[in-house]
Amino acid sequence: MLRRVADNGLSLAFGALFLVTLVGQAVAGAAEESEQRLDQGLDPVPLLDYVTSSSFAVDVMENWQSEYLQFFLYVLATVWLVQRGSAESEEPDQTGTESDEDQRMGASARGDSPPWVRAGGWRAALFSRSLGLLMGGLFLLTWVATSVAGWTAYNSEQLQSHADPVSWAGYLARADFWSRSFQNWQSEMLAVGSMAVFAVYLRQRGSPESKPVGAPHGDTGETG
Amino acid sequence: MRVGTAAAVLAAAVLLLTGCSDVHLPAVEEVAGDFAAGDPAVRCQLLTRAAVESLEHEEPAGCATALQDLQLGTGGVESAQVWGTEAQVRLTDDTLFLTATTDGWRVAAAGCAHSDEDRYDCLVEGS
Repeated sequence: MLRRVADNGLSLAFGALFLVTLVGQAVAGAAEESEQRLDQGLDPVPLLDYVTSSSFAVDVMENWQSEYLQFFLYVLATVWLVQRGSAESEEPDQTGTESDEDQRMGASARGDSPPWVRAGGWRAALFSRSLGLLMGGLFLLTWVATSVAGWTAYNSEQLQSHADPVSWAGYLARADFWSRSFQNWQSEMLAVGSMAVFAVYLRQRGSPESKPVGAPHGDTGETG
Repeated sequence: MRVGTAAAVLAAAVLLLTGCSDVHLPAVEEVAGDFAAGDPAVRCQLLTRAAVESLEHEEPAGCATALQDLQLGTGGVESAQVWGTEAQVRLTDDTLFLTATTDGWRVAAAGCAHSDEDRYDCLVEGS
């Protein structure tokens, strides 16, 4: 049991942190919404009502979509683009999808390779792109969810200020939707870009996100 | 079966993302209908606290007295929309805005007419 926990430490720790921070967002968000409603002479919103509301849904979804976009772009961009000296990058002469031999596909598949790799054909082709496809699919799904929840929250605010609600297509053309999207996207691009550069010159002893402490700045793709 | 399950999951997701809005339509239409058909005393009971306070601020004799002087709609419900905790009801001769309170749906604004493209000016509204 302890061994299984230790073997899955990263996913368990981040899963627990995700739940704790999501609860924190719900509690703080409900308190903020209640303050605003009290200012307007309305009743405060109960926690359960808040977590099933569109305003909570859009706040959660707009962050999820940008995280999946970040990983989708990073997974794809690192196939073709390099950052010389970065632990986050491949060697400059190893860009592209590489040979089947390098990727242990086709005739180079081994007995312990995943079943769809050994099966070859469309299964191997699909599996060889599955990480990017999943990240891209989750991005699209959560972005659409952001638009639907954002549309509902926007129309609720419209009615609160005694204005007509708008259609979904009308909401997609509003600044609110694009402001929510761009403000999250820009922070993800900054984080990824700066990490790629910081990993050239700085080290974190023991982390696979870093080169070995003694590795020269010019070494690319080496992890410690 | 798988298509049915996927459709059910999608429907549940859309309901959750839109705050289960359509579930509240009957209650919203009932309050709006009662407000339109009611006398000033009934209408005062169906207004939000903020709207009543705003009326009483203008007319110290009270909410019902204030409403007697206002031309509010008395027609039937033509259409209604619910978005989160807010709703808009079009009567045949008026537009109402309602909000969800702990006492149920209450009228936040009445006697509303378009002031520009999508905004309304209302005879009754909380400040």
